Amino acid sequence: MSPWITSGIRIVAPIALAFILGFVLFASAGYDVGEVISGLWQGALAAPGSAEQSLRWAIPLAVISFGIVITLRTGEFNIGAQGQILLGGFGAVSVALLLADWSPYLVIPLALMFGIVFGALWSAIAGVLKVWFNADEVINTLMLNFIAALLIQWVTTGPLKDDATRGETASTPRVDQTFRLSDGAGVSIELIAIVLIAAALAWIIIERSPFGLKSKLVGSSPRVAAWQGLQIKRIHITTYLLTGAFAGLAGALEVLGPSARLVTGATPTLGFTAIVVAIVGMLRVPGALLAALFFGGLQAAILFLPIVSRLPSSGLRIIEGLVALLITAQFVWLRRRRNRRQIMKDGEESLQ
Amino acid sequence: MTATASEQAVLRCEDIAVAYGDVQALHPTSLAFEQGKIHVLVGQNGAGKTSLARVLAGIIQPAGGRFWIRGVEAREANVQLIRALGLDIVHQRFTLPPSFTVAEALELVSARKYAGAFYSHRRLAASWLGELQQAEMSVSPNARIRDLPIETIQSLEIIRALAGRAQFLILDEPTALLSPGGVESLFSRLRQLRDAGVTLLLILHKLREVMAVADTISVLRAGRLALPPSDIADVSEQQLSDLIIGEGAAVETQAGETGSSVARESKAVNLALADLSTAPSQAEPALAALSLAVEAGEILGIAGVEGNGQRRLVDVLTGLVQAQSGAVRLLGRDVTKLKHHERRSIGLRVVPFDRIAEGASLALPLWENVTIWNAERFRQSRFAPLKIGAMKAAAEKALEQFNVQYESLEQPAGSLSGGNMQRLILARELADSPPVVIAAQPTRGLDFRATQYVWSALRRLKQDGASIILVSSDLDELINLSDRITVMRGGRLVAEFAPPFEMQGIGDSMIGATR
Repeated sequence: MSPWITSGIRIVAPIALAFILGFVLFASAGYDVGEVISGLWQGALAAPGSAEQSLRWAIPLAVISFGIVITLRTGEFNIGAQGQILLGGFGAVSVALLLADWSPYLVIPLALMFGIVFGALWSAIAGVLKVWFNADEVINTLMLNFIAALLIQWVTTGPLKDDATRGETASTPRVDQTFRLSDGAGVSIELIAIVLIAAALAWIIIERSPFGLKSKLVGSSPRVAAWQGLQIKRIHITTYLLTGAFAGLAGALEVLGPSARLVTGATPTLGFTAIVVAIVGMLRVPGALLAALFFGGLQAAILFLPIVSRLPSSGLRIIEGLVALLITAQFVWLRRRRNRRQIMKDGEESLQ
Repeated sequence: MTATASEQAVLRCEDIAVAYGDVQALHPTSLAFEQGKIHVLVGQNGAGKTSLARVLAGIIQPAGGRFWIRGVEAREANVQLIRALGLDIVHQRFTLPPSFTVAEALELVSARKYAGAFYSHRRLAASWLGELQQAEMSVSPNARIRDLPIETIQSLEIIRALAGRAQFLILDEPTALLSPGGVESLFSRLRQLRDAGVTLLLILHKLREVMAVADTISVLRAGRLALPPSDIADVSEQQLSDLIIGEGAAVETQAGETGSSVARESKAVNLALADLSTAPSQAEPALAALSLAVEAGEILGIAGVEGNGQRRLVDVLTGLVQAQSGAVRLLGRDVTKLKHHERRSIGLRVVPFDRIAEGASLALPLWENVTIWNAERFRQSRFAPLKIGAMKAAAEKALEQFNVQYESLEQPAGSLSGGNMQRLILARELADSPPVVIAAQPTRGLDFRATQYVWSALRRLKQDGASIILVSSDLDELINLSDRITVMRGGRLVAEFAPPFEMQGIGDSMIGATR
């Protein structure tokens, strides 16, 4: 069997299984599975405007997942995209609000750049802690997510508070219409073009740059990399910067695109869903693009479903979690099997 | 072995054999150990000592044979079961978790049952205090393992084993990490245990230590029993040395070739160490004021029993570890402060000790394994993308030059045989004819043909004028290839030999034997 088909099956089978398990769970909890399926179908594709909604969510998921592909390849489990998005949005919204009377031709690139830099620096905090102090990156990136959320809460209730809002959620004022890359629906030629440019850049970094190949060697066997003179610390720091840069860009695109402002408690799980997107995309850029479309559809359906079905949206989060669980479990299983074969081979090595 | 002796035996083996894949580590071996004595097992690296110990401790499954502990047959390779039969092992590398307290660590790994439903810090400490006092150890049960000196940790390993009521204790190279004083107190403790009726089996390297502690001695050589357990009084130090190294071991006819550098005129020194010292590593002694120099077109062999500082030496030569004092000179430049990648760019290459863990990434394709380390070479400018085609072509050329047998450049390196993987590493390190090469155990675990190939590649490189440091624990290899051989022991260079090499003398110097 061609390797493409086998790896295709390895991705599709766990997803199918996740849906089946999810449906069994819904049915046993007394929900109408037919209704859920039809709600999914409508929410992702069929209902008017739903395809656009799917695309709208696919855009940030894709951009974030590029950075996560890089970090997972290097073997660093940076799960701080959630906070890095918020910082990216903060950077972009600050530029757009503070330079409100500048030309959009200056403000838009500047806002994107600030988003990228803020995200990258936020991620680099965990990188520096890991590289120089050997502090666990999983815990640090996770904690930085909370700090970022509180920081945004302060910004939206303090320095950049929108006095016009009376609602429950605090937010910044709206970004001027001339600075925006899309309307509220969140899809535009400009946004799609930026995603494609980001994809091309990510592809070149991962597949066609010394950094990309070296980070793969560092991720697969750090000791081997050290014996070949690879500068592991530098590669790790670069990895953190890049992961944060892509997440920061996604945050900037949100602010300049569909949401038009920074809202406390916005986009609660994009940063985590993007990890699943990267893994389902087999840690490759084209794969991540496809997976982002799929999970964008799921995200749209999650928001749509409560309208037509009694199933709360958290039901679909269960499916998302199952996909992540099954695919990761499969990776572990494959590695075990490979290790077992390797042990037979390495027997001679333990002769010493 | 007489019938009566094997009846008294506390441990008896019949035709125990160990194979790793196609490699026969231990040929069918039968032997028996009497109760209440200190038995010592010696042999070169790869002689099968550790394999035998691991079978007896239930860690690996033998390829054949049976063994009995106190008359009961051990039917499966199961550590718990073997412990229940009264046999335990103290490994060369310790197994107590560094972050635990003494009491916690002992409790975790001991076979003893804790009296009570729940653990309490105080009761745990109190319950082990007795054991510690009985062993006359002053260490507090609440001290952390990582804060303790090596001697203490080792004593704890022994207490751990004895608390499981072990009647037969195997110690795998127990003196490797100890200071001379530590060795002496370990030995007196072992004698006490023997007098209390415990049977001990020690794996040792240094003849001086063997003579000091052994009641009986056995020798393994190349996976076969060269000397069954014999009373130490009946064997002389010189006989032992001959048995370990192998009598009349062929000093191959290569002598003409290695000696051919007739009346060497002084050539450029490509690599030199001056008064170099390092900190000790976890597994090896520190290097102490070490000096050496290698000329162009010369192979310097570093002989020595493993663990005597060879890894440390290669670490400082390559720049993977920084020296504490002294200087490293490479091609006329002071590189003491330079990192490994900087030394590489000057012209240093290295064949690592362990081809699987250090040499090649098993998961990555062949071409990436060969070209990644200097991928920058394959792009036109700093921001240009890599030319993958050129990388693959370069990899193909290097792999062909070094005769690597493969099907596709995309196959993972893990799919290669050991010999082919070593050729891949040579292809990566040697293809651009580097001026200075460090080859660490370049033929370990390789079969005859693969070994010959590696040897001829190193010879060719030398003829092209390269300076090579060859670190090996295989004396045949060193004698075959080297222009000079230096012996390393305890982090020092203790002797230097010039051709024609005398294997006996080098072997004696490695284990510190005197005649």
